[in-house]
Amino acid sequence: MSRPFPYTFISCPCADTPVPDPARKRRSRESPQKQSPQKPAPRPSTSEGEKKGLAAGQQEDEDDEQTFDPRSPRSDFSLYPPEQLLYCEECHQIKCSRCITEEIVSWYCPSCLFETPSSMVRSDGNRCGRNCFNCPVCTAPLAVSTIENATGNGTQQGPWVLSCGYCLWTTLDIGIKFDKPTNIRSQLQKMTDATPPAAFDRSRQASRTLESLKHPLSSAASVEEHARDRDVDQPTPKEDPAAPPMSTDARFAALKNFYRAQIAETSNSPNDHLSSDFGFSSPGALNRLMSLYTSSSRLGGLYGGSKKAKSKPPVMREALTASEGLCIAPKNGEADIIARLASPECGWEGVASLEQRAAQSPDARFVEDLLPLPVLLRTKRAKRCKSCKHILVKPETKPQSTRFRIRLIALSYIPLPTLCPLAFSSSSSLPTMAPTPDLDSLVPLRPIHVLLTLKNHMFDPVRITLATPPVTPGRVATKVTVLSPQFEIGANSDVWDEALQGASAPLSSDSKSAGLGQRGVPEAGKVWDKGRNWTTVVLEVVPGTLPGSSAEGGDGNPETTDEDVVAVAASKKDEDVLEIPVFVHMDWDADAQLDQQNLGKSSRADDKVTRELAYWMVLGVGRIQASL
Amino acid sequence: MATLKPPTNTHRSSSSGPPKAPVKVDSTATIADNVVFQGPYPVTIGAGTVIHPRAKFYTYEGPIIVGDGCIISEKAVIGSQPPPSSRSSSPLPTRDGEPTPKESTTRISYFVTIGPSSTIEPGVHIHSSATIEALATIRRGVDIGSHAKVCSSCEITGRVQEWFVVWGSGPGMRRKRTRGAKPLSPAVLDAARIAQTPLPAPAPAGKVIEDARLMVLQKEREILGRMLVSVKKK
Repeated sequence: MSRPFPYTFISCPCADTPVPDPARKRRSRESPQKQSPQKPAPRPSTSEGEKKGLAAGQQEDEDDEQTFDPRSPRSDFSLYPPEQLLYCEECHQIKCSRCITEEIVSWYCPSCLFETPSSMVRSDGNRCGRNCFNCPVCTAPLAVSTIENATGNGTQQGPWVLSCGYCLWTTLDIGIKFDKPTNIRSQLQKMTDATPPAAFDRSRQASRTLESLKHPLSSAASVEEHARDRDVDQPTPKEDPAAPPMSTDARFAALKNFYRAQIAETSNSPNDHLSSDFGFSSPGALNRLMSLYTSSSRLGGLYGGSKKAKSKPPVMREALTASEGLCIAPKNGEADIIARLASPECGWEGVASLEQRAAQSPDARFVEDLLPLPVLLRTKRAKRCKSCKHILVKPETKPQSTRFRIRLIALSYIPLPTLCPLAFSSSSSLPTMAPTPDLDSLVPLRPIHVLLTLKNHMFDPVRITLATPPVTPGRVATKVTVLSPQFEIGANSDVWDEALQGASAPLSSDSKSAGLGQRGVPEAGKVWDKGRNWTTVVLEVVPGTLPGSSAEGGDGNPETTDEDVVAVAASKKDEDVLEIPVFVHMDWDADAQLDQQNLGKSSRADDKVTRELAYWMVLGVGRIQASL
Repeated sequence: MATLKPPTNTHRSSSSGPPKAPVKVDSTATIADNVVFQGPYPVTIGAGTVIHPRAKFYTYEGPIIVGDGCIISEKAVIGSQPPPSSRSSSPLPTRDGEPTPKESTTRISYFVTIGPSSTIEPGVHIHSSATIEALATIRRGVDIGSHAKVCSSCEITGRVQEWFVVWGSGPGMRRKRTRGAKPLSPAVLDAARIAQTPLPAPAPAGKVIEDARLMVLQKEREILGRMLVSVKKK
């Protein structure tokens, strides 16, 4: 794993229940039976409750009986570091990034931190519409600076340029200066955006005259013929002074208009709704295509001569003039480009790289063609639970604020697990100080003690039951024993409250913890240490032997050796990593007000509701070394 | 005028220490207290040059000549230290007796800016108004043209032509700066032709940007000098 030892991961239960499961939701709300708050609920009773409560309990138990295997390929997708998880208060379940949906709260420019209204985002091309630009050469932000002031005149007027502080690119490189220091984007757009004022009218006119000349164009040959006619009538598009070359955007718009008009005009049936937009999926269009083939290949008789009797379907023609969007490649365009590439004033440095061209117009081949790029916008996103649509994370809309209105992170509901090795040698019961075991090379079969600390962030005390399989799943059988599987964690109460309450309770717990800490011998059934809102327990771990290692056959594994030898050859990567699956079951008495406001007002005293939550977590202890 | 304890007067290195390079400093240069000058060859520093604290000059392989109006930032290393073995054996490895390798002069011309923690190896020639940014490395014998810029953390092993910018990382990407007036961008030309609007007025030559930059640098040096004088008076 990428994290250093020791680490802890928590498994999101969504891996087991990919679809939102109402049974699970209902179960985790609250258990119907009341439990006395003094007695920590033992594990059998909770399972009893489950069975009694619901029909789905049976299946739940089966689920719970399955040991979570951290090595199974699927578990990679459900294990998350605790701090990355969210918690849904409605479903009472841990939520990972796969069981939430995201929605965009606001768009903003990361450079000027101005919010862009969502209606403007599309027209602005997802880029900042103000003064923020990135260098087209090196992508560093560009600054607006004046030229006049720099050359001596003190006044702040005069031409302005965008300049890159890093690679010293300026808009003077492409011969552009600006008259105002504000609204640079619209100034630049005015300079580069080429929508000829009468172009669209002209194109429409031209196509209309074509249609009026000869409306139902029967075949491709006739189109060509017609084009020839047109050439005779009018000067060729190249020589046409009324149709100057267009910029890429204008040409695209003209072509789009042209084809839309063509589709509308050539569709057979005017009441055909499908063909009105984009007619290829309609039966009429199919019919037209088929007849096109039959007529051209003179096989019409095969497909039924009755069709011939019909009026010939109109054929879509292609764009013929520049005003319709036709762009004839220049005669020696490629040669010109090559000559320019080879010229000494261009050189390798003058050619735009692929990265530079990615966001530019497709015609930009050289550095001189590059235009400054407005900064891409960013989004703030809200997160919702997939199953109940409850909002889990909602940031403030304003881009300047980094705060969140709602943020339900899992760590404020589930205890934070931390792991550390115990620095006492466990073979001798004497509290001699031994060095902390090296977690990157654990000795097989030598027991070590690991301290697992669970820190509660809730304002209610929590009862925890830990369960591990006695032997870890997988081929390296490590024995794990939780010395005190049932314990309580105190509430995350206010520190000052506790201090002001009087010295009795906290002092005793402090002294107790101090005593525990000094004694330093792990004992079964006793918690190792305890604080205000945290509890530490000891896990005894006996690392198993790696298959095929020198320790094999000494102890522990009565497996057949030849099988292991075969397995060693195909030994999986990271098999020596010791990961312990631990099942955590927690229950606590929560205020019912959060869920049932109407019930809350009846009585204040006993509106406590027992809640429970259960999940798997994985403790990454260390790496087992190959030999003893 | 603004000399902070000219290093020629400070004799902090004892006789046993590394050799102190003879330093010839113009009286208008500003040199910080703890600039290191080491080696047998001389260091010449021109008028109005500012050398920031903890810059190091090693003249074991040849003299170092710094022109007028340069800024050498803190922890910049100019020249290279001798390998430790030769240093221990003889404090003056190049002067006497043994056949010395060809002496290579390191030359830094006028109005050059050298960024913090950059390394200039011996034999480098940096022409006027060039900029070397922080953490850049200029390898032996490289020629950096005038008005060139080496962006931070680039490593230069070959010649950089004048008015070129080396940016990116490692050997970097190169870009030529504009000196003269440039024709309008083809996108603008096309747009003006199609929309039948008059072309925007031609932009001034790219040189004005460089002029402005040099003027700002000049101001920076002047202000620094004035600040140091006022500090000294207090």
